[in-house]
Amino acid sequence: MSGPTLYLALAAFGVAVGVASGLLGVGGGTLVVPFLTLAVGLSQHSAEATSLLVILPTAIVGSLVLRRRGVGDLGVALRFGVVGAIGSVLGALLALALPGGTLRIVFAGFVGIVGLRLAWDGFRGEAPEPR
Amino acid sequence: MRLDPKLLAIGLGGGLLSGLLGVGGGIVIVPLLVLWAGYAQREAHATSLGAIIPISIAGIATYGIAGEVRWWDALALAAGSIMGARIGAGWLARIDERLLKLVFGLFLIGVAALMGVRG
Repeated sequence: MSGPTLYLALAAFGVAVGVASGLLGVGGGTLVVPFLTLAVGLSQHSAEATSLLVILPTAIVGSLVLRRRGVGDLGVALRFGVVGAIGSVLGALLALALPGGTLRIVFAGFVGIVGLRLAWDGFRGEAPEPR
Repeated sequence: MRLDPKLLAIGLGGGLLSGLLGVGGGIVIVPLLVLWAGYAQREAHATSLGAIIPISIAGIATYGIAGEVRWWDALALAAGSIMGARIGAGWLARIDERLLKLVFGLFLIGVAALMGVRG
């Protein structure tokens, strides 16, 4: 892909990423990074840097919509996120010192199990007690 | 800065895992808020999305993106994703909690498969 076709494809994929981000409260890097490396052919580092710049405005716009609709508490979320940011910087430093492969497989297993549990709860209609 | 101790722990732990493994914060944060902190599903997703704002700012500040960003690619993606975020967040505000749980569960299973494949 090149030129206008590429940018149209990127914008169309961006819409899907934004919907997933706003609905699921995720950044979207999980979707954007593989797309940029596999479909567009960027290097891993370049794809991750580019995806960070897409995630920020997407999360801001989604959060403003939710604030207007009275869902959640943006003040708490932002403070919570500052703590998360400190954790993620520590994690990134730790990642440089640890072998990543095994850890990723273990974590993938964990995410899969949590996904099954949530999908099953949703399917059966059981929700944990709201706070 | 006052914050519930559980939120403090989830923020630190979730951030640590996401930085360590290079996965998005939301994948870690949402399940912890729901399964451990007892958040309602909808509130957990909204809280996660808000938390991503400072987390991604820290990422941009520390990642050394200067020479690596493909600006036009980012612009095209962001143009689409900003429109998409308005649609998605609008859905989150009114979607049935059971359906939300099911969709998110399936999303996590997909992410796990992708991570497994890429190792």
